[in-house]
Formats: sequence, structure tokens, C-alpha cells
Amino acid sequence: MLSIKNLHASVEGEEILKGINLEIKAGEVHAIMGPNGSGKSTLSQVLAGNETFEVTEGEITLNGDNLLDLETEERAREGIFLAFQYPVEIPGVSNLQFLRTAVNAMRTHRGEPEMNAAEFMKLAREVSKQVDLDPAFLKRGVNEGFSGGEKKRNEIMQALLLQPKLAILDETDSGLDIDALQVVSKGVNALRAEDRAILMVTHYQRLLNHIVPDYVHVLAGGKIVKSGGRELALELEERGYGWLGVKDEEATPSAAS
Amino acid sequence: MKPAPTLSSAFLEPRGHSLPAPLLELRKQRGTALVDMPLPTRKTENWKYSSRHLKLTDDLATTLPATGKDGYSLSLPGYRVVFHNGVMIPEASDFPDLDGVRIQNFGDLDDDDAAALAERLDNTLDTRAVQMARLNSARFEDGLYIRLDKEVVLDQPLFIVHEVTGTASGSAYPRIYVDAARHSQITLVEEYLSSGNEPVMVNAVTEYMLEDGANVTSVRLVMEGENVQHIGATGVRQAANSRFESHCVGFGGPLRRHDLMVRLEGEGGECKLNGVVVTQGKQHYDNHTSIEHVAAHCNSEETYRNIAADESHAVFNGRIHIHEDAQKSNANMNNKNLLLSTGAEIDTKPELEIYADDVKCAHGATIGQLDRTSLFYLVSRGIGRREANTLLTMAFINELVEQIPVQAVKDAAQLRLNEFFDQTFEEA
Repeated sequence: MLSIKNLHASVEGEEILKGINLEIKAGEVHAIMGPNGSGKSTLSQVLAGNETFEVTEGEITLNGDNLLDLETEERAREGIFLAFQYPVEIPGVSNLQFLRTAVNAMRTHRGEPEMNAAEFMKLAREVSKQVDLDPAFLKRGVNEGFSGGEKKRNEIMQALLLQPKLAILDETDSGLDIDALQVVSKGVNALRAEDRAILMVTHYQRLLNHIVPDYVHVLAGGKIVKSGGRELALELEERGYGWLGVKDEEATPSAAS
Repeated sequence: MKPAPTLSSAFLEPRGHSLPAPLLELRKQRGTALVDMPLPTRKTENWKYSSRHLKLTDDLATTLPATGKDGYSLSLPGYRVVFHNGVMIPEASDFPDLDGVRIQNFGDLDDDDAAALAERLDNTLDTRAVQMARLNSARFEDGLYIRLDKEVVLDQPLFIVHEVTGTASGSAYPRIYVDAARHSQITLVEEYLSSGNEPVMVNAVTEYMLEDGANVTSVRLVMEGENVQHIGATGVRQAANSRFESHCVGFGGPLRRHDLMVRLEGEGGECKLNGVVVTQGKQHYDNHTSIEHVAAHCNSEETYRNIAADESHAVFNGRIHIHEDAQKSNANMNNKNLLLSTGAEIDTKPELEIYADDVKCAHGATIGQLDRTSLFYLVSRGIGRREANTLLTMAFINELVEQIPVQAVKDAAQLRLNEFFDQTFEEA
């Protein structure tokens, strides 16, 4: 489904990604782990099409189509979804209006009729229950005054509404207490499907106890330095990144979990 | 040194004389005082940014003929009075028939009422600060005098539609005077529209006199065309415990100017002034507001938002003057500005003069662009660029649009805003 070949990307002239290779097939769940500053978030942002990052080399294809030729909104309509590490607060745009506009943009792209306000409200209420978000949040500004956990649940709610082909979860576990982590994990597990791939970017292994990945990759210094099954995450928890020749100045995964 | 330009004598000739004698006399007197009136230049502080857009060529001096026009397609809920080129058109108007409400056009006033009105005209305005309003007083052909007796509540909004037709160049001088007696209440909508393409100047003055406890809501929608210079002034005087609320929504033109002056003259008075301005192309819009806290224990709250696209230019000047005896004044002024292109310009200037020592007075002004992170967030959900930009721009003014208390005005403003968004934002 997603194929990344020799991807190099830089921001303001500084190269962050230095030759990433990654293949993800439909139905698979991949986790990318790595210390801070390794390029995990950059990879997520590049996949979603953030223009702050410049792709200098390599290619990304989604089901054979060149992703790099597409604008951010076109990528989203082709099925790329990024759950933001720091979801943006947009006062003055109601969450409901935002979600309906997004869902209808997707429907229009697929040649389906738009949903009217009443139809959408019904759907939104159902999905908000799935992530344990009070429907009252629909009336508020996008993420406005939401707690960290509420913002993350709102991200997962969007994924559930938009039904992407590839869901990229950027540090979706950060800032969550254990209850919120369980709610979010339940939502992500509900996304798992034969025709959908999930790419989780995380600093810590604790999320992987709730959402069990098929593959784990270690990203360090802008390259994938090690790939393996889920046992790799457990090993990282035990031993940290040091044995891979990778420095983690901030914290080892085990110390932080 | 080059002498300052003065008003051409062509502007001192009113067209019609079908007004009651006291008003004709007043107009003549005001006209005489205008001889050699210096025109604003860029050295005139309150016209610094706008004087070069002010065109007072002789062809504009002619008062546009008030013919009325066919087919006013108005489906406004409530009462309405239609003015064409500054003169009331009775057949297009629908007056309230309520005890204690007198709404009359100037031409229909008897001599006693006209004399009473002549005494009052200009008494809410400091005509040194709003020099162009003096031209209106020398030139009005008609106008609307609204009197509410004490405790009378107008049950629906009163729409006053001012339409000008620029089939030939010329000018129009709409005029409104509102006397709101004790504890009376009214919502009044001024809507400025135009047709035709020849250069036109609209010079409009509206005055509100609020007695104790009166409650007046004014909605002002300026939507004239690219051929129209609009120079407007609104004067407000408030007695004790009265409340004045203003909602101005304006779209740009070659020149749009509005001076809004509020004097809080009795204790417990309150005013709330909201404004939204949208400009595009090479348009120019200039709002000057002034709030005078003359008496103690008054509140004022002012919120203006400007949005400038293309190479347009918006100006906001907000003055708050707290007089020496106005203790316990509470004044809050906020002006936020959004630039939608690198060629657009916005100038904002809060002016605070505080002579009392026990007051709360806050002001804030910002100028910014649409937030790129917010835009990325929206488009990453599949929302198109045009729609994402529209959502974010609407978010900037939503709070003010939502507060407009008349649905028909909200709808009309939204339609015009949608046109603006379509013209301003492109799909990627």
C-alpha cells in the first residue's frame, strides 16, 4: 500500500531524513520508535504533505501513485490521515462544522452526495461515543480549550469518521493518562481492518501494549536502523536504544513507561 | 506655500427646496459657513490615510435626482423606509402604526416640528472632528426624523434602505435623526446600496439622542458599489442608564469612511460598538470611532475587525476619552486585523486620553495573517484550500457576525462575504 524509497527530507536546509526505506501492506500495523530528534515526526509530516519540509530525494507511493505529486488535501482524499501530535486549536470554527466539511469533502471526492446537518449530527454523535467524547464538544471551537486527552480523542474520532487507507498516529499516546490511553487504543483498534494500514510513531512502548503492531522499526539519525516484530519493542523497553549504537539523551523507553 | 484646497462653490448649491422653512433656513446657514472650508489633506491628522481617496470634483456636486425606481424587491421583515438618492420614496416604504412612534420624512414635517428638529440637527456631532458631516447639513434634500415617546418599544426592527443610482455622476445626502425618550427602545437598520456605474458620493449622517434608560440598537450595512465614495458619520449622545449598541458591517470601495462618535453623558450609560470591515482590490476603508466618557460609572465595549485582501487598505482609529469627572469608567477596546495578501495594508491606532484616576481602561490591537498551521490542519483532513481559508477567515469575524441581532442583515452580509471568499481564495 505505502512504499517509501530512499526518502530524504530537510527543513530550512537541514537534512532530517537521510534515506528512509519502508514498505507497508494493507491490514498491517507498523510502529516507528526512536529517540527524540530522530526524525519520527518529520516522517509523519512529510507523508501528510506539510510544505515546511522539503523532500530532496527518494519517492513515496500510495497504491502505486506518486504521493509527492499530490497536495496535502489530495493526499487526504486518497486516504492518508495524520493524527497530529499537537492538534491545532481553531477558535471560531465549530468542531461540528469542521468535521462535516471534512467528511463532505471526502464524500464529494468519492462521488457520493454530501451529508446534511441532521444526518451528520447523528453520525458524529455515534462516533463521539466510540471515543468517549461528550457530544457537547461538537459545538465548541475545534480543539478549543480541550485537554490533551480530549484533543487526542478528537483526532481518533476524525480518523473514525474519515475512514482512511493509511492512518498515521504521531505520538498519539503522549500526554495521556491510563484511562485516556485505553479509550484512544480502543478507538485505534476499531480502525484496524483488512484494507487499512496503521503507522504508529511513538517514543514509548506502552502504547504498543494496547495496540499490538505487526512490525516495529527503530528510527535514528534520519534512518531506519533496525526492524523486527513486536518483540523488538519489548527488547527496546528492556535495553533502551544504546545497544543499537543510538544515543537517547532525553530518556530511555523503559525509564519513561 | 500652496494654500490648502477648499470646498468648490459648486458644492454649496442644494438642489431642491421642498423642505419646511426652518430646515431650509438651517441648510442655508450651514452652507454659508462652508464657504472656504478647507478640505482634509494628508496633513489633517484624522484624514491622514484617506484624504488622497477623497474626490470632490465638481461633477459630484450635483445632487442626484430622486426619481425612485421600479421594482424594489425588498422582502425585509419589519418596518422599512426607502430613500432613493437621499429622498424618501413613500410607495416603497412601510411605516409602523404604533402609539408613541412618530416616523416622518423631513419634507412632511410641519413648521413647528421642523423648527424643533432644526434646533437639534448636528447637536450630537463635534463638527470640527467630523468636518465632512457639515457638508451633509448644508445639502440634505430630505431625511427621516424618528421620535419615540417614553417607554415605547418598537416591536420589530426598522429598516432604512438608502439606495443611490449612479446613472450620472453626483451626490446624495441621507440624514436621520432619532429622538429616543426615556426607556424607549428601537432597533434600526441602515442599509446602503447602489446601482449604476458613474461616480457617486454618498454623504450620510445619522444622529441618536438617548434619554434616560433608552435602549437603541443600530445596525449599519455598507454595500455600495465600486463607483461610490461613502462618507458617513454617526453621532450618539446618551443620558443616564441608557444603552446604545452598534453593529457596523462594511465592504470596501474607492473610499469608505465612517466616523462614529458616542458621548456617555449620564451615569450608568453603556455602549457596545462592533465593527467588521472587508476590503479587496484597491479598496479603501477608514473607521474612526470616538467614545467620550463624560459622566461617571459608564461602560464602553468596542470590538472591530478588519480583513484586507489584494492591495486594499483598511484604517482603524479608536479614541477613548475619559473626562476628569468620569470616575469608575470601564472602557474596553479591541481591534484585530487580518491581512490576506502581502500587498494589503492595515493601519490601526488606539488613542486613549484619560483624565480620571479611578478607571478601568483596556485596549489591544493586533495585525496578523492566517495561521499556516491551522491551514495545514484543515487541508490535511481533505478540506480544499478555498474552503479552509474561508473557514479560518470566517472564524476571525464569526463572533461579531453572530452578534448582529437581525437575521436578514446577517444573511445579506454572509452572501456578500461568500462572494468575497470566492474572489479572494483560490483552490490549490
